[in-house]
Amino acid sequence: MKKPDGKVVLLGDMNVGKTSLLHRYMERRFQDTVSTVGGAFYLKQWGPYNISIWDTAGREQFHGLGSMYCRGAAAVILTYDVNSLQSLVELEDKFLALTDSASADCIFAIVGNKVDLSDDCASPPDENRPEKAVAGCSSKVRKQVRVEDAIALYKKILKYKMLDEKDVPAAEKMCFETSAKTGYKVDYLFETVFDMVVPIIVRQKAEGPPQTVDITDYKPAKRTKSGCCA
Amino acid sequence: MSVKAFKLVSAVEREMLMGDKNHINIECIECCGKNLYIGTNDCFIYHFMLDEKVSTSGKITFAATKQLHKYLGFKKPVSELKAASALTRLLVLCDNTITLVNMMNLEPVPSGARIKGAVTFTLNENPVSGDPFCVEVCIISVKRRTIQMFMVFEDRVQIVKEVVTPEQPCAVAVDGYYLCLALTTQYIILNYNTGISQDLFPYCSDEKRPIVKRIGRQEFLLAGPGGLGMFATVDGISQRAPVHWSENVIGAALCFPYVVALDEEFITVHSMLDQQQKQTLPFKEGHILQDFEGKVIVATNKGVYILVPLPLEKQIQDLLASHRVEEALVLAKGARRNIPKEKFQVMYKRILQQAGFIQFAQLQFLEAKELFRSGQLDVRELISLYPFLLPTSSSFIRSHPPLHEYADLNQLTQGDQEKMIKCKQFLMSYLNEVRSTEVANGYKEDIDTALLKLYAEANHESLLDLLVSENFCLLTDSAAWLEKHKKYFALGLLYHYNGQDAAALQLWVQIVDGDIEDSTRSDLYEYVVDFLTFCSDQDLVWKYSEWVLQKNEEVGVQIFTKRPLEEQEKNNMNPDDVISCLNKYPKARIKYLEHLVLERKIEKEKYHTHLAALYLEAILQLKSGTTDNCMETIELLLKLRSLLQKSDLYRIHFILDKIRGTDLHMESAILYGKLEEHEKALHILVHELKDFRAAEEYCIWNSENRDLQYRRRLFHMLLSVYLNPDSSDCALVMAAVDLLNNHAAEFDAALVLQLVPDSWSVQLLSPFLAGAVRQSIHTKRMTQVALGLAQAENLIYKYEKVKHKGAPILLSDKKVCQVCQNPFCEPAFVRYPNGGVVHTHCAANRHQNSNVTPHSSSSSSET
Ligand SMILES: Nc1nc2c(ncn2[C@@H]2O[C@H](COP(=O)(O)OP(=O)(O)O)[C@@H](O)[C@H]2O)c(=O)[nH]1
Ligand SMILES: [Mg+2]
Repeated sequence: MKKPDGKVVLLGDMNVGKTSLLHRYMERRFQDTVSTVGGAFYLKQWGPYNISIWDTAGREQFHGLGSMYCRGAAAVILTYDVNSLQSLVELEDKFLALTDSASADCIFAIVGNKVDLSDDCASPPDENRPEKAVAGCSSKVRKQVRVEDAIALYKKILKYKMLDEKDVPAAEKMCFETSAKTGYKVDYLFETVFDMVVPIIVRQKAEGPPQTVDITDYKPAKRTKSGCCA
Repeated sequence: MSVKAFKLVSAVEREMLMGDKNHINIECIECCGKNLYIGTNDCFIYHFMLDEKVSTSGKITFAATKQLHKYLGFKKPVSELKAASALTRLLVLCDNTITLVNMMNLEPVPSGARIKGAVTFTLNENPVSGDPFCVEVCIISVKRRTIQMFMVFEDRVQIVKEVVTPEQPCAVAVDGYYLCLALTTQYIILNYNTGISQDLFPYCSDEKRPIVKRIGRQEFLLAGPGGLGMFATVDGISQRAPVHWSENVIGAALCFPYVVALDEEFITVHSMLDQQQKQTLPFKEGHILQDFEGKVIVATNKGVYILVPLPLEKQIQDLLASHRVEEALVLAKGARRNIPKEKFQVMYKRILQQAGFIQFAQLQFLEAKELFRSGQLDVRELISLYPFLLPTSSSFIRSHPPLHEYADLNQLTQGDQEKMIKCKQFLMSYLNEVRSTEVANGYKEDIDTALLKLYAEANHESLLDLLVSENFCLLTDSAAWLEKHKKYFALGLLYHYNGQDAAALQLWVQIVDGDIEDSTRSDLYEYVVDFLTFCSDQDLVWKYSEWVLQKNEEVGVQIFTKRPLEEQEKNNMNPDDVISCLNKYPKARIKYLEHLVLERKIEKEKYHTHLAALYLEAILQLKSGTTDNCMETIELLLKLRSLLQKSDLYRIHFILDKIRGTDLHMESAILYGKLEEHEKALHILVHELKDFRAAEEYCIWNSENRDLQYRRRLFHMLLSVYLNPDSSDCALVMAAVDLLNNHAAEFDAALVLQLVPDSWSVQLLSPFLAGAVRQSIHTKRMTQVALGLAQAENLIYKYEKVKHKGAPILLSDKKVCQVCQNPFCEPAFVRYPNGGVVHTHCAANRHQNSNVTPHSSSSSSET
């Protein structure tokens, strides 16, 4: 078996569409999935590198495994369902802590899936208010989660990780809205993430295998810490 | 989806152990080579020898023969047994104490070495000490939260390390310095050398018995939440996706590439390669599942069974037989590390090929092609599926055992024509792709012949491309096939490629004549002409020349006129033979002579005369004919004139004789011109033809490349003809006036004036006169200029001469010649304008030997 050079992990509540996203990207298809048990992974050749992509189980029962899956990860894709505010809340409440074991320079992406279900008539943020929601496109429902909410979460994550906004990719760049069903922005999501993962792989290779990182001198944030007054 | 990966075979039946004593239960087992040890709840150890028997049908059975049994003397069960074969010791855990007994006679070691206070223990299969006569034992101590490491020698034990764990451990596995521990609420990895620990994942050991199993270097298999079999490395990461067991799994074992698990009702088999469950064997009341050096053993309380793995090849073949290509390939690839390299490669190639045929049969051609390519399939295996494609002479025999189940394409497609066509199209493109690669080496004949047959059958245009480029089509086989499919033109190409041009031509001629039918080329006649033109076999050219000329003499003559240059240079074909051959075909004959005279520029009188005579003949014939072939006549006339004017080789009188008495005045004028009988010529032009323009042009082209005098003579002659006193034709007078006025420069004015009748007015001739005067003055002035220049030049020379005479030149015997460096012995010498003095003979030599002018010779050699 080829040994992967880097790892990308998909986290998020059950049913938000993690397996479907991965399936769409790897197999170019959308089909009904069965609830993921434990976890599954794919190997993706990206340039000269093999990137393993882990699909995790959203079920509460398997949350405990997340930490192990995230260990040494170069990127974590936090996934929610744009039609479920709860799924975004869960990311912060339940899943963020699991990423503590990820690589120190791990990048984060926040993905709102299932945009095909809601009307995505691009409307300026201030207009996107509940009182105006009546004028929606017929069968579709109003999105429950706005991109701005995801961006806010992204910034919270940076705080949590004690990372400086200047040192990491911009929030606008790392918050995606996708549809595994239509394929909308799915390739874009994974390709953007992979492109960002490559420099991390290169750095990890230069520093020696990440597996041998000595956890005693493991510093969660190598970059300048933010939020500290001089 | 199931695979038959294992077979369950009984090893030790209950009678052999306990007879009818129902209270006796199996507690633990150990297997080391052929030795099988069983520990019971009544504190006995049984020792069996296990013999594997393979029946002729390949069925494996095990026969266990009891060697010994030994009572350990406690009222406690024997809870664990581990063999250390290097020490010939069996480690026995009973009543929280590990004792060492001899593997063969089960007697305790005399030293009484033991480890006390062990709840459970395990051996380090990746030992760190490097001492082959020492095993490393890790125990969970009866002391709370304590793990101890021991070194166990033949008859002594030594504690190495004691580690305190954060929670109470309940199961342990070891790899090198790494302990993989199931604690009360989670699994962790602990490096007992550095003390560093790494959390894996939470697990509630109260609810379910944890499983910790080392499955290879630095990798463990753990029972996870929800019945997951989780893989974890010593670095705390997972490199394989989990397998999904039932919730109440009791034990797990590994037999690559399978993970075997035991629960209360079943033995399940998962593949580590794709995490799929592959096999389920019903097995009730099992409570032990362990692997020993690749041998998987399960036990109930009463009996011991062995899970015999079916040979991987058999498993793969089963998968292929049920068309599960993907899984078969995964399994085959996974088996790589368990099979010697050469054997693996042979096996794997074969599997790829078989998989290719499965895909092929499902018309998955892209996949099939890739599999054939990577499996380095002998293309003939594929070709042989198609009836009649392999040449009869081919030595090919399908590989045995066969790569697929199909006799031929008919069987495979079950007569479905559409499928058949698709298969054929695939083979066409596949063969076309591989024919020039190394895949084709050794059987290019078979490939090309098959391709030819496919093309011919499908009426494919590439058939011709194949035949006109380098190919290895076998002649007899291909010829028969092409004939069968009425591809006669192609058959001709095949003959030609095989050097049988005569056969090729015969076929093509038959097609053109309509004796056989093949519409491949509508321009086949032209093709044949072209073919003969470049055909180096002149006998063939002669043989078909009649046929070709009869069809169309003007096109057909190309076989003589357009022959390749290199052949012309060797002059292989005798023009006289060709001409006599062409006697029956006047148009062709003219073309051929034109080719000789005008293109090849052969300077032979007879061809030039012949051509002129033929032109003449043709013209006269056309003229005598009633039909009005004006265009053709004019064309011929122009050609004749051009030949008569340009060539100097034909027999003028001969042609003149033929022309005399006809109305070809212009031509006779040209001929007289050739004879320098200009008066006659001009007379004809002026009086017979009355074509004054032609007369003027005559003067011009006849005086081309001659001096002015000659030209003037001709023009003057023309003037005289115009002014012939015998005729007083007014038109002639006008022509004379025009001639003079338009060509003033071509006349000697003085002579003209003598000739011009006195009656002409100056007015009439004023342009001529003006021109003549201007010319005369111009000439005079030019002459004066030339004279002046010549005088000036002369003066310069004179000055030079005087200058040189000016100073005396002293010649003494001290002076040496500048050329030969010898002194002067005679008074005569040569002096160069630059002052250099040399011997007369040296100067003479020098003039002969070099072109260097004296002026440039060096003058620096004077002493
Ligand atoms: N309409 C729509 N449904 C989706 C989309 N992605 C996933 N689903 C559906 O959502 C359900 C859960 O998807 P799944 O991939 O199993 O989610 P996971 O638990 O996060 O892996 C399935 O029924 C999917 O068919 C999407 O983009 N649009
Ligand atoms: Mg899933």
